[in-house]
Amino acid sequence: MNIFIREMKAHRKSLIIWCVGIVLMIISQMSKYAATSSNGQSLNDLMSKMPKSLQALLGTGSFDLSKLSGYYGMIFLYLVLIATIHASMLGADIISKEERDKTSEFLYVKPISRREIITAKLLAAFSNIFILNIVTLSSSLVIAGKYSKGEPMTWVIVNLMMGMFVLQLIFMFLGTCLAAVSKNPKSASSAAMGILLATFVLYNAIDLNSNLEGLKYLTPFKYFEAKNIISNVGFEPVFVILSISIIAVLLSATYVFYRKRDLNV
Amino acid sequence: MNMFLHELRAYRKSTIIWTCSLTTLVILFLSMYPAIAKDAADFKKILDNYPAAVIKALGFSLDSFFSLLGFYSATLTYVLLCGSIQAMNLGTSIISKEARDKTADFLLTKPVSRSQIMTAKLFAVLTSLVMTNVIYIIAASLMASAVQAEPINYKLFFMLSITVFFVQLMFMSLGIIVSVIVPKIKSVLPISMGTVFSFFIVSMLSSSIGDTTSRFITPFKYYDLMYIIKNSAYETPYIMIELLFIVTTITLSYIIYSKKDIHAV
Repeated sequence: MNIFIREMKAHRKSLIIWCVGIVLMIISQMSKYAATSSNGQSLNDLMSKMPKSLQALLGTGSFDLSKLSGYYGMIFLYLVLIATIHASMLGADIISKEERDKTSEFLYVKPISRREIITAKLLAAFSNIFILNIVTLSSSLVIAGKYSKGEPMTWVIVNLMMGMFVLQLIFMFLGTCLAAVSKNPKSASSAAMGILLATFVLYNAIDLNSNLEGLKYLTPFKYFEAKNIISNVGFEPVFVILSISIIAVLLSATYVFYRKRDLNV
Repeated sequence: MNMFLHELRAYRKSTIIWTCSLTTLVILFLSMYPAIAKDAADFKKILDNYPAAVIKALGFSLDSFFSLLGFYSATLTYVLLCGSIQAMNLGTSIISKEARDKTADFLLTKPVSRSQIMTAKLFAVLTSLVMTNVIYIIAASLMASAVQAEPINYKLFFMLSITVFFVQLMFMSLGIIVSVIVPKIKSVLPISMGTVFSFFIVSMLSSSIGDTTSRFITPFKYYDLMYIIKNSAYETPYIMIELLFIVTTITLSYIIYSKKDIHAV
């Protein structure tokens, strides 16, 4: 319990910064919705006839920007990007910082097993990303409520945020797993970032070229796409199962590899 | 000279990795061009049925947007993102790593002035960035000539590609000034990632909804690639701002660094 509280305190400041950042981002982008939604309906019709690759090039995707749900769907990708960057860096950092800051000798001679230490740290990281998710959810609900003009947004936003939470979990455990496996603790967060960037670019590449559609299982950004959730397709079972198994594998790898790890002192 | 060579060697591996990933990125995207060109041709047929006014309202010329150069400038978004992270990482870490790795008292007790240290490090970063860009531009031009449908204008192609270097310079100087102002940087990645991604998200969203006020804020928008394609020239005000920004930050960095309290072991 002490370790949990200690970690929560250590990450409090950065969590506050991330929360403020994400709220500011929602406010600043949603406030521009009014201007965008006045674009004529005919333009939207035309855009929807455009091939998918060209829509992706223009950056709007297949969202109907005259509706708040479509507009929010466009922003959602970037909310996910912010949240997963936070999650992967947090995951990598929380495990590797003891070695980086040369405090591992202090911590690991305490009469607790490594498993307990990892559990406490993972719980702390979990609470952090949960708080970030809740902050995003509630601020989205409040701000979207102001612009919605009666369009039902609550269910869409709650569903999108559930998808985002799963993605946060995937990338957090990716970070912890890399930190547990890698020999040099400093390289864990760079590796996590590298993977995150690569999957983000792959996501965009798949949008550009439908021949790459088969690669969608490789990039978590494709698992919970805003356009499916908005158009009521909901979560696809295959991606839910895939996410759960990825999380399970990464989680157990974190425990298994960390137990046998040579600590750098 | 020794410091310069030492830094170059220290960053050799990371420079190679970054160069390889940027090159892979541009090859991946450019290899998709033939498919895009086909989609664009289909879309043009649909457009022919619309009145000219609607097409004008779309706000872009299809021919330039879906030419190889137009497509390349869309690709450059991701190249810019990766390149900026590289530059900001380099800029932030090169000064701050001495304090972090506890090598500052070793280096600062040598008979060299602090401004000499700064100069050597600055040139090492510049060399590393220049090498990345040279290899990137060569690879990109080779790939472009392989996928081109009709001969492309290599001067324009070069002008577009070199903007990556210009944006990198801004992020590099931003990183350097951050690293001399902040007393102690525990880990570089959260700072550089946070900064680059916030600017990236601002620029992506502002281009999706056509907002022009944020152009001065985010370095990603300093070079309007469509403007360059149309006029084969850069926009002077932005170049002036960039030069001013770089000169100011670098001068300030020299002044601050030469007076800075550096924590010894």
